[in-house]
Amino acid sequence: MKQARWFPPLLFAALTTALCFLTLPIVAIFVDTGPGELLASLDDPAAVDALTLSLWTSALAVGIIVLVGTPAAFLLATRSFRGRDLLVTLIELPLVLPPAVAGIGLLAALGPNGLFGQALDDAGIRVVLTTTSVVLALTFVAAPFYLRQAESAFSALDRSWLDASRTLGAGEATTFARVAIPAALPGLIAGLALAWGRALGEFGATLMFAGSFRGVTQTVPLAIYERFATDFTAALGLSAVLVAVSGAILLTVKLATRASPARVLPR
Amino acid sequence: MSFRVEATTDLGALHLDVDLDVPSGRCLAIAGPSGAGKSSALRVAAGLLQPMVGRVVSGREIWLDTARGIDRRPEERRCGYVFQDYALFPHHRAWQNVAYALRDRPRGSREPEARAWLARFGLEALADARPATLSGGERQRVALARALARRPDVLLLDEPLSALDTRTRARASRHLADVLRESQVPTILVTHDFAEAALLGNEVAIIDDGRVVQRGSASQLAAQPATAFVADFTGAVVLYGTATPDSDGTTLVTLAGGHRIRSTDTADGPVAATVFPWEITIEPTGHRTPRSTQNQLEAQVLSITTIGGRARLGLSGAASLTAEVSTTAISHLDLRPGTPVTATWKAAATRLVALDS
Amino acid sequence: MTAAFRRPALVSLLLIAFSGSLAACGSDEERPEASSGTDEVLVSAAASLKGALTSYGSSFDGGEVKLSFAGSDELAAQICQGIKPDVFAAANTKLPDQLFKEGLVETPLRFTTNELVLAVPADSDAVTSVDDLATKVTIAVGADGVPVGEYTRTVLDRLPAAQSKSILGNVRSKEPDVGGIVGKLTQGAVDSGFVYRSDVEGAGGKLRAIELPDRLKPTVEYGVAIVKGSPNRAGGREFVDGLLEGAGAQALKENGFGRPSPAM
Repeated sequence: MKQARWFPPLLFAALTTALCFLTLPIVAIFVDTGPGELLASLDDPAAVDALTLSLWTSALAVGIIVLVGTPAAFLLATRSFRGRDLLVTLIELPLVLPPAVAGIGLLAALGPNGLFGQALDDAGIRVVLTTTSVVLALTFVAAPFYLRQAESAFSALDRSWLDASRTLGAGEATTFARVAIPAALPGLIAGLALAWGRALGEFGATLMFAGSFRGVTQTVPLAIYERFATDFTAALGLSAVLVAVSGAILLTVKLATRASPARVLPR
Repeated sequence: MSFRVEATTDLGALHLDVDLDVPSGRCLAIAGPSGAGKSSALRVAAGLLQPMVGRVVSGREIWLDTARGIDRRPEERRCGYVFQDYALFPHHRAWQNVAYALRDRPRGSREPEARAWLARFGLEALADARPATLSGGERQRVALARALARRPDVLLLDEPLSALDTRTRARASRHLADVLRESQVPTILVTHDFAEAALLGNEVAIIDDGRVVQRGSASQLAAQPATAFVADFTGAVVLYGTATPDSDGTTLVTLAGGHRIRSTDTADGPVAATVFPWEITIEPTGHRTPRSTQNQLEAQVLSITTIGGRARLGLSGAASLTAEVSTTAISHLDLRPGTPVTATWKAAATRLVALDS
Repeated sequence: MTAAFRRPALVSLLLIAFSGSLAACGSDEERPEASSGTDEVLVSAAASLKGALTSYGSSFDGGEVKLSFAGSDELAAQICQGIKPDVFAAANTKLPDQLFKEGLVETPLRFTTNELVLAVPADSDAVTSVDDLATKVTIAVGADGVPVGEYTRTVLDRLPAAQSKSILGNVRSKEPDVGGIVGKLTQGAVDSGFVYRSDVEGAGGKLRAIELPDRLKPTVEYGVAIVKGSPNRAGGREFVDGLLEGAGAQALKENGFGRPSPAM
């Protein structure tokens, strides 16, 4: 049998091409402008507002997602019931939705003319164009990223651990908290990082549903978009900051996962 | 405090229908091929599987009674369950795994008690280790300690030795036998290996295709198999003794009672000698000197059980033996209960398994 | 590098160099100079021109018109970055003049006018005049760099400081283009917004326009220019001619735009 000698170089080339393509835009952001200019553009209080808003709205969104999503993912992963696959597909749907469609969907549901618009109005709750709407938009687009990872992590658990916990006197809730979550932690944290990154970068749905107003709804991506036309250097500066923050989050998560003591037993 | 589990249910293609009871202080070994429903019976007992119809009674407590709508959750049943792959929590150290069973104890006493349990199993040095760093045998013992620390009303062991390699298995099985003897908790042990069942169980129940086919002592099942299946399943005859290497390279095994047999395997010290019933030839009693490559024991026919063209002979004598011969041989030798015979088999057919003391 | 690595690494480097040169080829020279037949005319235009230019483009017979709508400032920024459409049509004259000063476009021409109006959802009566804007209502305006935003700024600057401050306090969103403002209005997300009259006419009855008092009205002039170095100069030229006089001018009129001011 002839050895395919062209195959290893091909693999190599594929990886190198991918690497170059993916890192080039990011490197360009930092190279195009000097560090002095970048820092100066951060002096802008509007930029600081955008950054603060982005950080706390994304953190809140991720908090909601983890709080509600973890038990939901556990249920999906450990119980089999009719229509389970359909349910999983529904939950993952926002993953493949273009953000603009997500924006339209949110408006159609919660906008003033939307399904619940009248009810919200009667209750005196204003949703659109508020910071609440930013959190809602971020939650909607980022949730599937966490849910999918969490469901996968819980599915990978050895079911006998959960059974063992029950036979040792722990109820379902205790088993969930003391066995399932710690054992699935690396996967959960990876999902959290993905969801957070997605939330930080969210643009289209936010613009349509929440609008763009400094300090209230203008997150960093929206601020970058506004500066892009009038002050490209400022846009570069903010982009660099966003890249740095997202990178820091990813890195922290990777390190936290490595330090996690949960190790799957060899089979 | 006895224990009883009855269950009738459908598991996919298998229809499970069992009724198993274990008197206090005894161990019932359930043996059978994979997929026969053995583990399912254990899971019903523990509350991990809900049968269509079933009853689980531990002593005076009713854990499950489908007719009356009683179904205690697993955490409300005092079971000590050892899973096939031990199911040790990977994110807990060894002592923490054991301490998990002690959650109804006051906080401060959990760690010392957990460590004490591990010490009882010779694992005090490994109490702080994580399961991933332990060997198979060590993990098995931690799992056992954890199950016993629960002070259970019944011990449920699912293939407790299958995950171990052959060397560790011999040692572990002696250890397990000791533990079972000491604990006095009614035990149901599941295995696919009849020899293991024979060694560890006071009684053996053979399950095939969801039903108990026969139940009795190991030697009873081997000598008087109710069906061809049981006959096949109860393979080897097991004799215990002490081995000493002989000058010609073979090994002499002195059985309890003084008789000596020879094996071509090498071993030294306490051993279990096994030979399959169909390798034993039956001849009328005579004073024929055995060849050096053969083992010979005088025995008396106790029982003859015919299945199809084969017959199992239960023999008593220097040791309890089971021989398998053709039905023509029965008539040819005019065998009936009480007939004295000579059982002969090759030294090469005698396998030795070392037993670590 | 170990021997095992050298060959694959070398091949990969060659492959990357090759694809890199391919990419370099795909630059200005890629599209062929207009000669004959179906040539593309790329037009970058302000969002408010959407209705008018789409209908003009479909009836244009000097080539296949490809339209790109966004805030005028964003389109100008793209041209600064080296993107070359054939025609740039902005909602003000400031941006084309700026690009002309930087040598990126040919002499800009004013081709139409529009009117900045205060728009409200057709079924709402929360706002009936500019004075209502200082009360408890919500407003959407254009972002600072977008023409519609700058025109709005002009209006507010012409108001007393206190009033313009209250109005600004009611702004809930600064949209990157006028389409976003229209969207927020039709959704009912805001009570009012500053858009062009052509947008109200194009909203199919969903919006109502409130005319601004003469003293507040800004002059809204649209400028168009041919981008220097663009591939289809002839086609662009023809498109612009039609805007000034012909099918384009007609389409503008039908969509609520005004005649260009006579002075050039």
